[in-house]
Amino acid sequence: MIGLLKSLGVTLKRTLRKPVTVQYPGEHITLSKRNLGFPVLLWDDNVDEPACTGCQVCMRYCPTECMTVTMKDNPLAKEGKSARKKIVDNFQIKMERCILCGICVEVCNFDAILMSDYHEEGDITRGGLIAKKEDLFRMGRDFQKRAGIVVGSAGDKKEEGA
Amino acid sequence: MPVEHDLRTVDMLLNMGPQHPSTHGVFRMVLRIDGERVTDVEPHIGYLHRGSEKLCERENYRQIVTLFDRLDYLSNFNNELGFVMAAEKLMGIEAPERAQFIRVILCELNRISSHMMFYGAYGADVGVFGTSFMYGFRERETIQQLFESVTGARMMHSYFRVGGVFQDTPDGFEAAAGKLLSQLKRSVEECDRLLTKNEIFLERTRGVGAISAADAVDYGMSGPCLRACGVAQDVRLIEPYLTYNRFDWDIPLGKKGDCWDRYWVRLEEVRQSIAIIEQALKLMPKGPIQAPVAKFGFVKPPVGEAYFRAENPRGEFGVYLVSDGKTSPYRVKIRGPSFVNLMALRQMTVGHYIADAVVILGSLDIVLGEVDR
Amino acid sequence: MTWADMGWLILAIVIFIGFITIVVLGLTYGERKIIARFQQRLGPTRTGPFGLLQPVADALKLLAKEDFIPGSVDRLSFWIAPIVVFVPAFIAWVTIPFTRDIVISNMEFGIFYILAVSGLSTAGLLMAGWGSFNKYAMLGAVRSAAQLISYELPLVVGVLGVVMISGSLDLKVIVAEQDGLWFAFMQPIALVLFLIAGLAEVARAPFDIPVAESEVVGGPFVEYSGMHWSMFSLAEYANTFAVAVLATILFLGGWRGPGPDSGWGQDVMMAFWFLLKTSLVLLAIFWVRATVPRLRIDQLMSLAWVVLLPLAFVNMILTAFYLYYDWPDWTMVAISFAVLAAIGIAYQRRRVSRLATIETAKVRVRQGKVVA
Repeated sequence: MIGLLKSLGVTLKRTLRKPVTVQYPGEHITLSKRNLGFPVLLWDDNVDEPACTGCQVCMRYCPTECMTVTMKDNPLAKEGKSARKKIVDNFQIKMERCILCGICVEVCNFDAILMSDYHEEGDITRGGLIAKKEDLFRMGRDFQKRAGIVVGSAGDKKEEGA
Repeated sequence: MPVEHDLRTVDMLLNMGPQHPSTHGVFRMVLRIDGERVTDVEPHIGYLHRGSEKLCERENYRQIVTLFDRLDYLSNFNNELGFVMAAEKLMGIEAPERAQFIRVILCELNRISSHMMFYGAYGADVGVFGTSFMYGFRERETIQQLFESVTGARMMHSYFRVGGVFQDTPDGFEAAAGKLLSQLKRSVEECDRLLTKNEIFLERTRGVGAISAADAVDYGMSGPCLRACGVAQDVRLIEPYLTYNRFDWDIPLGKKGDCWDRYWVRLEEVRQSIAIIEQALKLMPKGPIQAPVAKFGFVKPPVGEAYFRAENPRGEFGVYLVSDGKTSPYRVKIRGPSFVNLMALRQMTVGHYIADAVVILGSLDIVLGEVDR
Repeated sequence: MTWADMGWLILAIVIFIGFITIVVLGLTYGERKIIARFQQRLGPTRTGPFGLLQPVADALKLLAKEDFIPGSVDRLSFWIAPIVVFVPAFIAWVTIPFTRDIVISNMEFGIFYILAVSGLSTAGLLMAGWGSFNKYAMLGAVRSAAQLISYELPLVVGVLGVVMISGSLDLKVIVAEQDGLWFAFMQPIALVLFLIAGLAEVARAPFDIPVAESEVVGGPFVEYSGMHWSMFSLAEYANTFAVAVLATILFLGGWRGPGPDSGWGQDVMMAFWFLLKTSLVLLAIFWVRATVPRLRIDQLMSLAWVVLLPLAFVNMILTAFYLYYDWPDWTMVAISFAVLAAIGIAYQRRRVSRLATIETAKVRVRQGKVVA
């Protein structure tokens, strides 16, 4: 009988501890800095253009083929304001296919894409889960401001702020 | 006691179908029962087949790591390790020392979290109304939060790379891991006290589903299921990989090979993993974490083949890699330990009760992602 | 019986049944909260303040659910089974007193009536299992029938000890006879028997194999949904409450406790003590449910026939000797506790040490090599 009584003792001891429930969505657990949320595109504030040049390396490396990327000639380069000769024309990520693996961030030559901390991106329409260029820029700028990330001059490594 | 066969009784066919609270995934067991006794078991698998091995033939080495994450979805790091070390074996390179220590620490932590999941689900199978589940998941939660601080993801990490790991551990990792280990030690004692010597738990699991060592070896079983029969077979001992031959640890062995032994071996392994992680944290040097392998971002092993086996929480995980010099492998064959362990289900279950069938399946600790790939 | 008496009786029945239903609904909520605490988590918190409206939400959900009936069921059995399970659970309450004055209709053979009526629900479970046209349901029903029949005997013979000492089947008299020493001390064996057999009668953990969620997925109730299923659920909780209340009345002194001697203050204190003791018994029942694994059906049956029934007869013989030879009270207490202790020690020595000997080994690996 002793084993049974000890088990009962264990459960009794647990009642005296604080419950470990986190009452989501009221409370959130703090995510780590490296948390892999949805990928977003970064914005180069110095030149006021996206850091992405549309080179399609991330598209080729994506395991689930969730991105569509096209590039165009950069009008700002013709004016001499930017060092990026090409710039992204169209960028689409299918959020429901993205497996949040972070490979696109790893292979990007221009450090133009980053895993943000957005993780509550549900939608009630099917089209709502396809993140278009504007959505990615908007989320990217919001994340940059919150995380203090500054894109260096065109084509260089980014410096992380605070 | 056998039923007297003067009565003409008919066997009943009972289908523990793909959707069942107890079959640990989409697994179908067709039982033939005579009253309450099981006379035949026919497992049906394949409900979770996703074509992983075929997908490997067209994805490059960095993408395949994400596939291997999702095989045995409870021990992600161990699967990734199998693949990257097979590729490293083929290329003849070794990861730098710090990377190896990081790999050992993460794999052992994953072993602990996988065994905690087993503990939770096993208690639920035996009939504790979810208490063991909550306790097991509490420990898993803390471990997964540590994983998140290192890799960014709680489960599907895609963190190991051919030649090393993706990024270095963050600052404060050693302190956080130390704190986690001391909390784990206390929790494992409590989990132990809840179930291990509980009389009713003993009545349910002792003598149930016993398999002899000779039979287990014949079936090709591995991992805790084999060690519970008394066979000291552990890949970390026989073919040490990473830095396992620098640690002091014990291999727990059972004797009878029944469900209680399998449960006990896993619980002891958690304690041994904690010891290994403590030693690894002390010995871990500073240094680079990635050996130079990729030319222009692509990993291209030479033509050849390699087989690497690792000790997963479920048994011996093998990866057979055939390369033809391109950026994707020619063929990847995965030896999932749960698939092989499942072969012994019929022998273990026939002659026991229906309630025992559930307990035996739980003690084998299969993960359908690995069985079906 | 005059018309006025009839009217009062009907009113009392309606109030009583309403009260029992509310208590049962509150039990479903209380159980979830308390078991959650044992598992170090919160229970329901969202439906109303502190989740208090959870039973209301459950009831509304069950009412609104599509009550679909599979095509191949045996209509008669399927429809009647919930009634056969539900009605005995509630008519047993007719004669249970809450305080000395609150009872619908006290009978001189109170406890006999309760035990007889609660045996009827076995037939209901069998009807549910057969009528559902489902192998899992049949298995669950057959298991539950075996279990309920096996545990009737230790239950009845255990209660018989209490009846012998108090000399009456009337529940009020039984409580009145506990003015000296509670029957929990005079008949500890009967208390153990009553709690174990009572839990088995209600098919609650650790004896919930008929409704084992992880095997037969609900047992005889597997094909029921909506209001049909809620009848079974309410009956189960009403039975649990009945077991707790009867344990209080038979063994823990019912509503006896320190308090004023007369007036409405006495009524309030009697109700308070009664509810307090019942709550403690219920807490113990929930505690056991949260902690203890389930017994297999053959272990369950062997427990009933090999352990509990002989123990019940030993208790009965002991009580007979005590009454016939007029031994003092303390002998009864001492011998009963000695018997319980002896059984516990014998079980620990013989069975548990055989089961729990760890015949395990460890292979020591030091720096990659095996050392002795």
